[in-house]
Amino acid sequence: MQHSELREDVTIGILALQGAFAEHQVMLKKLSVKKRIVILLVRTQEDLESCDALIIPGGESTTIALLARLAGLLGPLRDFVKTKPVWGTCAGAILLAQSVEGAKQGGQELLGGMSVTVARNGWGSQVESFEAPLEVEALRDSDRPFHGVFIRAPVIIALHPSPSDPPMQILSRISTSLLPRTQTLVPYDEDDTDPRDSRTIVALRQGHHLLTSFHPELTKDDRFHEYFVRECVLSSLVSQ
Amino acid sequence: MTTPSSQPSGVATPPSAIHHGAGNPAGTPVLAPTRSTQTKDGGSSLGTFGVKSGLAQMLKGGVIMDVINADQARIAEEAGACAVMALERVPADIRANGGVARMSDPKMIKEIVDAVTIPVMAKVRIGHFVEAQILQAIGIDYIDESEVLTPADEEHHINKHAFKIPFVCGARNLGEALRRISEGAAFIRTKGEAGTGNVVEAVRHQRAVMSEIRKASVMSEEELYAYAKDIQAPFHLLKETARLKRLPVVNFAAGGLATPADAALMMQLGCDGVFVGSGIFHSGDPAKRARAIVQAVTHYNNPKILSEISEDLGDAMVGLTIVNSDRKNNMSTYKPEDELKSFVSEDPNSKYTFDSERDASQSEICREEKKGLKCITLAMHSKQMFVAMQVRPFWLP
Repeated sequence: MQHSELREDVTIGILALQGAFAEHQVMLKKLSVKKRIVILLVRTQEDLESCDALIIPGGESTTIALLARLAGLLGPLRDFVKTKPVWGTCAGAILLAQSVEGAKQGGQELLGGMSVTVARNGWGSQVESFEAPLEVEALRDSDRPFHGVFIRAPVIIALHPSPSDPPMQILSRISTSLLPRTQTLVPYDEDDTDPRDSRTIVALRQGHHLLTSFHPELTKDDRFHEYFVRECVLSSLVSQ
Repeated sequence: MTTPSSQPSGVATPPSAIHHGAGNPAGTPVLAPTRSTQTKDGGSSLGTFGVKSGLAQMLKGGVIMDVINADQARIAEEAGACAVMALERVPADIRANGGVARMSDPKMIKEIVDAVTIPVMAKVRIGHFVEAQILQAIGIDYIDESEVLTPADEEHHINKHAFKIPFVCGARNLGEALRRISEGAAFIRTKGEAGTGNVVEAVRHQRAVMSEIRKASVMSEEELYAYAKDIQAPFHLLKETARLKRLPVVNFAAGGLATPADAALMMQLGCDGVFVGSGIFHSGDPAKRARAIVQAVTHYNNPKILSEISEDLGDAMVGLTIVNSDRKNNMSTYKPEDELKSFVSEDPNSKYTFDSERDASQSEICREEKKGLKCITLAMHSKQMFVAMQVRPFWLP
């Protein structure tokens, strides 16, 4: 928690209530960017207060939300999302959504922050979990595909653009030919990929927020982490 | 620790276990394609070792709870479980009632799948690959090839590479853990002593794994070859473990955890998360205890929070502790009758009364002492206890 007054470093928190937070920690440690990155595992409100940005990892969204509420973090997290950059992967992406389909009985708590509706486990159960190459133009070495690891992944079923919200930028879509054959959500699309269909979007940016329905932290490829730090976090510090 | 004869002594998967046709070709865990249209260059692939072990990584820092029906599954989900384990009887009841314990009824498992959004696991007997094929067809998320059920094969475990669905397996030491990983397990847990509410065996197994990893991590390559032979582990997995200084897959604690403190203890001993079986739904207030254990796994290093969440949880799981335990004590040799005998022998001339819920698997027996009643709860059906007391001999008023 060395919080430099001179802003020579930047503190990136990783919500460490449940899930694959250690994997994000390893990825961030290896990054080399202009500023020194201080990594903080966030479990309490005090932890969150010293962060300039936050990563919400993969895990179980219901478990993470409950633990956040029990730790008194739900309100502070919702405030954090309003002002600071946040990246959600998989379960984290569900928490960043404005609404969710396929929620647990009785509904589940979200943080909001991105103008999307997601469906949980959209492609099916674990048997339909898969790996597929993705084209992501915004990344460094963009001609090299990014290896997407989709584990009981959520699907973006609707975008809700609004003039009052920051515009949304689609960073990557998955080709329908790469989806598990057993899934019934999206029909096979020969022209690949229908620009009106939000369901093939797997990486999305809105303002300083980033959403990925797959797990860059489960690969050895740090380009998404680099993108988040460079484009979302460092640029937000400049604009403040 | 010696390896009992029921464990396979070899490290390779025996060919006899590769007959079933489900899933990927055997022995090719990474990027093993199963769907022809998606296996061309630049295609996608299902059921890779990456997504199998990846789901286990998503479960880290979480609690997986044993449930026997959809209602319990809902309670577990509400309490923050990161997954549920569907089974017909919790281990305490398997231990108490005896008989052959098998895979659960697929209908019950499907009801649980429909009731919750979190991953659903289910147990199969060791070596019973057809039970595993059935569970894969149902479309659950994880299979536990479990020693809690009655083994179907005393020589061979399931060849887990041949499935798209991932497997978790129990282990008591590093050699056993690495043998299971070599057979395709994407997730390891301690065996512990399921159904007892006694954490001592889980601690023993976790400490054994950690100390063997520490030993291996400072060995030279020559020593690692000898050590691999010694602990009956595949050399390449041992070498990777030594380099990583941890198991190459996620490692949870299981078998006998009953309190938030037990869960935090196992986390501090280096586990990535915990399984809780009988400890929740055999306790006084399952929802509250379940939630406390979930919090304990997140805040395992914060004694202040641990003290707050441990308060006022009602009765912990009782009576199934391993009394007079010797280390060989296990499911097949534990006899509640022996415990009853030793309780009665403390004061054979007192008046005894016993009580149990109708058809419950455990009964409480009490005797009058100067200070009031002294009671113990045993894993015996009331009828069983009645018979045992008649044999003593005791007669009921």
